[in-house]
Amino acid sequence: MPTDVPLNGHQLTLGLMPLNDAAPFVVAEQLGLFREEGLAVTLKWQPSWAALRDDLQTGVLQGAQMLALMPLTSTLGLDGRATPVISAMTLNLGGNSITLSRALMAALGEDGHDLSSPLQVAKALAAHMRERKQRGEPLLKLASVHPFSSHRYLLRYWLAAGGINPDRDVEMRAVAPPLMAAQLASGALDGFCVGEPWNSLAAAQGMGQVVAGSHDIWRFGQEKVLGVREDWAEQHPLAHQALIRALLNACAWLDRPGNRARAAEWLHDEGMPEVPMSVVTRGLEDVDVEQSVDDFQQHNPGWTIFHRYAANFPWRSQTRWYAAQMQRWGHLEGISDNDLEATLARCVRPDLYRTAARKLGMVVPVADERSEGTHPAPWWLSGEAGQVPMPADGFIDGAVFE
Amino acid sequence: MPVTVLIVDVRSERSAALEQALLSAGFEVALRVDEHEDLHALVEQHQPDAVIIDADLPSRDTLEHLGQLGRRYPKPMIMLASEDAPDLVREAAGAGVSAYVVDHVIPAMVRSMVEVAITSFEAHRALKGELNRTQTTLVQRRSVDRAKAVVMETRGLSEDAAYQYLRKTAMNRRLALHELADELLKAARRR
Repeated sequence: MPTDVPLNGHQLTLGLMPLNDAAPFVVAEQLGLFREEGLAVTLKWQPSWAALRDDLQTGVLQGAQMLALMPLTSTLGLDGRATPVISAMTLNLGGNSITLSRALMAALGEDGHDLSSPLQVAKALAAHMRERKQRGEPLLKLASVHPFSSHRYLLRYWLAAGGINPDRDVEMRAVAPPLMAAQLASGALDGFCVGEPWNSLAAAQGMGQVVAGSHDIWRFGQEKVLGVREDWAEQHPLAHQALIRALLNACAWLDRPGNRARAAEWLHDEGMPEVPMSVVTRGLEDVDVEQSVDDFQQHNPGWTIFHRYAANFPWRSQTRWYAAQMQRWGHLEGISDNDLEATLARCVRPDLYRTAARKLGMVVPVADERSEGTHPAPWWLSGEAGQVPMPADGFIDGAVFE
Repeated sequence: MPVTVLIVDVRSERSAALEQALLSAGFEVALRVDEHEDLHALVEQHQPDAVIIDADLPSRDTLEHLGQLGRRYPKPMIMLASEDAPDLVREAAGAGVSAYVVDHVIPAMVRSMVEVAITSFEAHRALKGELNRTQTTLVQRRSVDRAKAVVMETRGLSEDAAYQYLRKTAMNRRLALHELADELLKAARRR
């Protein structure tokens, strides 16, 4: 049995991607939060999600910033080689956007479509695709970032909400975030769904226009998670708790007013020096206390929440929503509902979150699950130490997920 | 028919040497490209038998996606690891997955490198296909059993009669038995 002794320079290598939501790792390092918890952390920037997954599965990394589905698909053996990976913490809510090329936006505009909302743009795109088909023109090409990504399923959800069949009406691809803007410019892609700062970059370079953000499709949905190998977590429960606490503190810092600009500077310097600093800063902006959440979200489609609204709690129901999207498109064939539930229970670990959050006096929700799309207005979540204010949630097509 | 290889590498010196080695070993090299090319279109166009790619290139996610798309696309991938990572090489090679990592390329070894990668990939894929079929059959059988239980309960039928009812309905509706079972279960859950 492990005892509660302080860690002394426990060495860890963590993987992360050049994205704005890698911020918690960079902030924890810069503020010395890992060190305060007795951890000696090395951050390893990864060139692709595939490389990050391989490094975690082969033991080069003990933990990583991961797409919400990755612990599940790694454990099920769908992604790389079967390796149990667990997540006890969500790193952020939202942060992705859908960007369409300038040429495509011009074509939609010429057709005289209503482009006043993310849903209207999807409907206009559906009409445009039908016209292209009639004229015998090739399918449009849209990209997300990795087979088992939130981006792939948010993009498919948005397309379907507009009446587009992503398996028939469009050609779907995967392109790594740093290459997206260039492929849009060269015409290899007509649009994409990716995390910040890559949408802001395409917009700043005049190559594309952002037409929808994560929150337009699924308000305050789970985005990246902290993933660690299950065997590592079992062998080093104290180091795992220390890691969660350090990242929780980093996330809390990121959502305190006035800190985002500094975080953007560190992110830029450490992980993506090729992206202009102003673009990183722009994509990382947070709502001001004076502003309305709805208004801010409309003008900042890539808005990323790191801590507020019980953001770090690993809702099993949110990961299940992504799994339900995989089922919807036939990407989970051969996995029974029972096996899926058992694997979700194994991979998503609110119990481990609670231990860490209680020690820090942070928000601890009472339930492991919640419904989505049932809160049209701000609501109160039951927490162990009282009620937690939550924003309205919902899906672009008005669906309810229970 | 010659075996066709696609090389994705930004280090042109290394990839030129690799191309030479592959050609003299009797392979056909479809193309040498760097990461800024439209890799998705190139793979579709050239249909290579294997892809050799620098493990540090972002384009790997494009190949992974192609691998998920359908039977035509998954290709054995040979990773060129630029830094010395002997543990990683051994681990990935031993895992029998499509990724086969080498840290540097010895011309004399090129032939066996590509052949081993293709063979182990095919073997792995055959095994995975077998597993998938077994799993699917199991899942299908389970849903038929559950649908049978639902019919027994809602219609007050014996097990045998419930099964005959399912078979007849499936035949009338031109559905496979497990497809009908899934529909029934979905409807039962909504109620």
